[in-house]
Amino acid sequence: MATQIVMDRTGDSRHSFDVHDRVEVEKAERRFKELTGAGFTAAVRSGPGEQKVIRSFDPTADETLFYPRLVGG
Amino acid sequence: MTQQIALAICSFVLALIGTMLLSALSLVVARSSSGGKSFRFETEAKGLALLKGWLSPAQRASYERYRYFDVVGSDTGTRYRIHHGTQTNIEELSHTGHHICKWCFVPDGDLVAGDVMLAQKIALETNERGALMVAHRSFVTAGPRRF
Repeated sequence: MATQIVMDRTGDSRHSFDVHDRVEVEKAERRFKELTGAGFTAAVRSGPGEQKVIRSFDPTADETLFYPRLVGG
Repeated sequence: MTQQIALAICSFVLALIGTMLLSALSLVVARSSSGGKSFRFETEAKGLALLKGWLSPAQRASYERYRYFDVVGSDTGTRYRIHHGTQTNIEELSHTGHHICKWCFVPDGDLVAGDVMLAQKIALETNERGALMVAHRSFVTAGPRRF
């Protein structure tokens, strides 16, 4: 199972999907496009404490984290 | 006389109903307030758990001990100290570790501290210039810390 973690007012919302289930993967890809299209940044872990930003859906990533667009505070 | 007794009974019953309604209302307000606090506490804890899961072992140890952790900017190699908080909580450090200035940028929306700090870490470690382009810089050092 892979998980998409979306930061929100509840802390985060998690969406798990079976990477072997085509329908679930397609749904996860749609979610990826919707979120990144809305300004969210997607990141995956690349090592302990390390991460990389991804621009396209990666169904092999165990966890993909989405955070909202950055603004000056 | 009978009318006076009836009036007194009616007043008593009305006062009793009023008191009961007020008590019920107080209970509802108290429960709602307590539920809000509990929700906020759970949300804060969830955000911190997520943050800790993405920190390096050294960053996690630093955060747990001092409530801050350091990151290195992806473009310039500059060291930043992210303090616990959601506003003006990023400190730029010199190569000798001295304070230079503060930066403030946050993910849009009303997010908890753990989420804000994690987004700041990822942004500085993967797209430092992009993050600083939207950030506000502050050279104010006097006054109470608001981390």
